[in-house]
Amino acid sequence: MTELVQTLVLSLLLGGVYALVASGLTLIFGVMRVINIAHGAFLILGAFIAYTLWHALGLDPLVGVLVTTPVVFAIGWAIYHGLVRPIRNAPMSSTVLLTFGLALVTEGVMGFVWGNDSTAITPSYVDTSFHVGGVFLPKAQVYGGIVAVVVLVALWLVLTKTWLGRAIRAAAANPASAELVGIKVTSVAALVFALGLAAAGAGGAITGVLYPFVPGSHYLWIARLLAIVVLGGLGSLEGAVLSALVFGIAETVTAVYVSPAWATAVPYAIVFAVLLIRPQGLLGTRLRDDAVTA
Amino acid sequence: MSLVSIRRGATVVSLAAVMSLGLAACGDGSGGSSGSGDTLTIGASLPLTGDFSQPGKAAEQGYKVWQSMVNADGGLLKKKVELKVKDDASNQNTIVADYNALISKDQVDLLLGTFSSLLNLPASAVAEKNQMLYVEPAGGSPDMFSRGFKHLFFAQQATADKQGLVFADWVKSLPASQRPTTAAYPTLDDPFAAPNVDGIRQVLEGAGIKTVYKTTYAIDTKNFDSIVAAMKAKNPDLVVHGATFEDGVGLTRAMLKAGFTPKMFYETSTPSFADQYTKAIGEGNTEGVMYAVSYSPDADTPGNKEFVAQYKKMYGSSIPPEDAADAYAAAQVMQAAVEGVGSIDDQTKLADWLRGHTVDTILGPLSWNADGSPKSEFLIGQWQKGVAEVVLPPDLATAKPEIGWHPSS
Repeated sequence: MTELVQTLVLSLLLGGVYALVASGLTLIFGVMRVINIAHGAFLILGAFIAYTLWHALGLDPLVGVLVTTPVVFAIGWAIYHGLVRPIRNAPMSSTVLLTFGLALVTEGVMGFVWGNDSTAITPSYVDTSFHVGGVFLPKAQVYGGIVAVVVLVALWLVLTKTWLGRAIRAAAANPASAELVGIKVTSVAALVFALGLAAAGAGGAITGVLYPFVPGSHYLWIARLLAIVVLGGLGSLEGAVLSALVFGIAETVTAVYVSPAWATAVPYAIVFAVLLIRPQGLLGTRLRDDAVTA
Repeated sequence: MSLVSIRRGATVVSLAAVMSLGLAACGDGSGGSSGSGDTLTIGASLPLTGDFSQPGKAAEQGYKVWQSMVNADGGLLKKKVELKVKDDASNQNTIVADYNALISKDQVDLLLGTFSSLLNLPASAVAEKNQMLYVEPAGGSPDMFSRGFKHLFFAQQATADKQGLVFADWVKSLPASQRPTTAAYPTLDDPFAAPNVDGIRQVLEGAGIKTVYKTTYAIDTKNFDSIVAAMKAKNPDLVVHGATFEDGVGLTRAMLKAGFTPKMFYETSTPSFADQYTKAIGEGNTEGVMYAVSYSPDADTPGNKEFVAQYKKMYGSSIPPEDAADAYAAAQVMQAAVEGVGSIDDQTKLADWLRGHTVDTILGPLSWNADGSPKSEFLIGQWQKGVAEVVLPPDLATAKPEIGWHPSS
């Protein structure tokens, strides 16, 4: 029983971090229909910035979220206006290629600036845990999970309780009508792209504490993140959170009760199974054009 | 916020699959010129980025130190040595393209191997097909030497399945009161790490040490908490971990987080990364960790002092990582064969020469079986008070082995 509780606790802590990182990716797709292959690269960029702040200034990496988030937000804003905006109306494959190139360039820049050695952020609490009964809760995961929840709630409040959020949702639901009621869809898109990357920047500071990383680590993240947002329903923030938790549970339970060798594969098998039954994902919406072409 | 169509979902899944393949296939496409009359060009592809970038970069350092020393000494066959190193991004497909390009496009005169069995398996096949000598600094999987290759040589003391045997025999020899009774064997799914761990497990099981946990995990595993939770539930006395670097750090840190500190802890590869290892897990947490190692900076082997001095001059540290030393030794082996034969025109002759001779390297004397596998035995290292000591075999030891892993955190 203790083992099961332990497994579920670790699952939820892992899923919480996945949720934060995936939220930005699904947000960008929901509003802009851009599949941002560079999302994982900006996650790692956030981790490297947090590492530098911790290594050079002694700033706790989880406090460093307050720096990595605006820094990556600013980078996202600049990238949108410089690179993404000119091809907003191009086919989806063009934006995929663009962001793929962006991922490679970002990886190269990180390698140039920080090198390709394995990097680990190790604040004093990184190897310690809270012990409750026979269950251990790694402090880094707990603190990281709390920060992830705070950021996710803030993001959700912005999207649901503010005029900005309404503008974002309107631009996502119907860009033409949004323009008619005075919403500048281009500005909203820039903001969303920057917000999406900022979520990756925040997630990077957290994951940097949890796992060692190199510039090329983003390859491992992007495939997993795409699977999470597809499972949740592309564009659905709530779906991404739910899907991330499912992913975390599937990975951890498989590792403990089946074999770690299957821990990577089983969550993807779940994605395929869910899509066969519910092609729009867990909380995705089936639109009229899907019904016509189905 | 749910907005998107099914067709787009399907498109994303397809693109994700394509991108995953595409992203993995990135390499250095740099061209170059072949060796001229006054130079010998030696080609290699190393994992300078990606999962094996840590050992890959160390191996590059070892090759460069050898290049600088051999050129300072008049070159090889009186020709200046040039190195052409590509980056295979730790990818099996890229490395095949890289070695093909080195041979056919860059027309290098000689080859040196890459890091890890995973990459040396396909790379050595390219060299064999072109009948070029291929001395590898890493790649001790038994699978490497079961293919009947004639040009492949491993420049370390033993293949992976035999690297931990000195440790296993030592554990077996401990008095019953100190000997572990149960053991766990987590390992990376890797042709080097897995046989290494299996070799130890077979000996210890034969000695009556019960296996309570055994698992293999994929190379992209990042989350080790679940493995450690399962292992902790079995409470083994000894953990033998088959690792490269990042996964070794990840599992060790997960064990510390879980408060799981078995009586003894043996890990492949990771603890041999000197200061990179101590930085990654904290110096205090290294106390008592044991590992197989091919090289000691303090070893009294021919040319070792000069190697350490040159390494320090070029890279600022007086403790070269094991992989740098292994790469240097691989280049020494290739150099010995070239100088022994006096020509590189027929590289099958270079291979035949190696099979018939013992080569003195900074790792000690190396000699080979007909299949290119080495004949010697490994050293066993242990971290003691922040210093990497050689503890086994006794005649080469710099300190006595101590029982127990005593992390400070």
